[in-house]
Amino acid sequence: MRLRAKPSWLGLAPALLVMAVFGLYPFVEVVRFSAWKWSGLSAPQAVGLANYRELLSDPAFWRSLRVTLEFAVITLPSFIALSLLVAVALEGQRYERWVKGLLFLPGLVTLSAAAVSWYTLLSPEYGALQTLLYTLIPENSPLAGWLVVPSWDREPFWALLLVVAFTLWRYLGYGVLVVSASLKAIPRSLLEAAWVDGATPRQAWRFVTLPLLRPAITFLLVVGTILSLQSYVAVFLLTRGGPFGGTRVLGYFIYEVGFERYRLGYAAAATIVLLLLTLGLAYAQARWMEER
Amino acid sequence: MRAFLRHAFVALLVFAVALPFLWMAYAAFLPPELVNSGEITRFGFSLANFGALAPEGFWWRLLYSLAVSGLATLLALASGLPAAYALRDGAPLLGLVLFLLAVPAEMLLVPLYGVLNSTRLLGGPWALILPFAASPFVIFLLYQGLRAVPWEIIEAARIDGAGERLILQKILLPVMMPHLVTAGVLSFAAHWNLVLYPRVMTTEPWWTLQVWMADLVRKYPSDWGLLSAAALLGTLPLALVYLLFERKIIETFEGSLKG
Repeated sequence: MRLRAKPSWLGLAPALLVMAVFGLYPFVEVVRFSAWKWSGLSAPQAVGLANYRELLSDPAFWRSLRVTLEFAVITLPSFIALSLLVAVALEGQRYERWVKGLLFLPGLVTLSAAAVSWYTLLSPEYGALQTLLYTLIPENSPLAGWLVVPSWDREPFWALLLVVAFTLWRYLGYGVLVVSASLKAIPRSLLEAAWVDGATPRQAWRFVTLPLLRPAITFLLVVGTILSLQSYVAVFLLTRGGPFGGTRVLGYFIYEVGFERYRLGYAAAATIVLLLLTLGLAYAQARWMEER
Repeated sequence: MRAFLRHAFVALLVFAVALPFLWMAYAAFLPPELVNSGEITRFGFSLANFGALAPEGFWWRLLYSLAVSGLATLLALASGLPAAYALRDGAPLLGLVLFLLAVPAEMLLVPLYGVLNSTRLLGGPWALILPFAASPFVIFLLYQGLRAVPWEIIEAARIDGAGERLILQKILLPVMMPHLVTAGVLSFAAHWNLVLYPRVMTTEPWWTLQVWMADLVRKYPSDWGLLSAAALLGTLPLALVYLLFERKIIETFEGSLKG
């Protein structure tokens, strides 16, 4: 089939111009920059593949790559499981619309304000939640030893969990909407047919509902992978990569190297690694889910 | 029993999601002396925190951020509707839009810094506006909305001699209002919530409310009242707009996910 341009296509021109300059051209630039030694202010100096070579032998980079994968491995399954669970729990309830509206709110409200609230609420030892717990529970009761906010300012593991929780809090609304939209698209007659044939509710869920939700789950998996590999704003706002680099995900590593230590060429090389990782993983997942 | 567990789960979830908001609203009115002595569970009410915001330059940042995000959103909507219309009419560039959708600006900080540097936009407020004058997200959402419009109407209008501009203004603009509102609110929120991008691309006088607030936390880490007052007032505009259009946004967004 031959494509014949229509006059309406002209409408794309302004958007295309902006996206070409600020969306596509950067992909060319990042490759070019990655072969430079450049502070952003000084004149760039061509260094060939030196940045990549240094990246491969930089323990901070490898550490950050590991933290990124850990973050994704914790975040993704819990995001998808929670989205499914909440969407199913809400389905058909009187309060469905209200709760969905509330769940969507954290993703929209001012990000750094949300971080302020989390930070003051959840600070270890003297945070608001801890103070409240101390007031409610007498210090010598057996419960007191358990109801302690983990010291995420010193323990990398808890710091990472804090960032995971913040990320889930922000995006759960989207996940629930995606599952819910495809839950509503399932014809009721299909489920009724399953019940008539004697399926238990669990069987109906396992063999009718879940397979029909697969496209939604694939979508969440792909979008979630991209999001979880790229989200580092929460890290900046809550932990600044610490403690001991325990939450320094790749995105934040790039920011630090590029704009706090002014090594833009090196940061460009790391950006390319992250882009390849994101696109590769998202593509592989989409293929894998399609095949099954 | 199952029903009870279900309600209990939802109640717990609602509490956990709402807790940071409740705390923010509570702490904003705490008298500073109660925060200093750590007696946050004692009842107190004070407006002192809100008064302390003005000398820190809060109101100017708020207005400036509203203007910058508002302008960027208007431009994105104005460029987005004709673009979505062209895609719906068969222009073969949907793949490009989807690809760009997957790579947000905060991922491309380093190359964008170079692009803005060579276009002499770096440092000033236009660095926050021009790159967002077209948004793949807006285009995609509007395109999904246009798919539900029966195209015979458009063909008929063309046969009757209507130009493309007339079709956009008189037919599609009114029909697409719900989608425009949804795309507008969501892309406003996305722009409003940029933190590292404005921090890197502009100089301190042009920082947005987000960057300013992240900086405030570093400056006064223990002044919870002040921080919460800033957080509450900084959240309110967006929360109000959202509550106003909440039903429309959820419905439109859910609808566009089905296709």
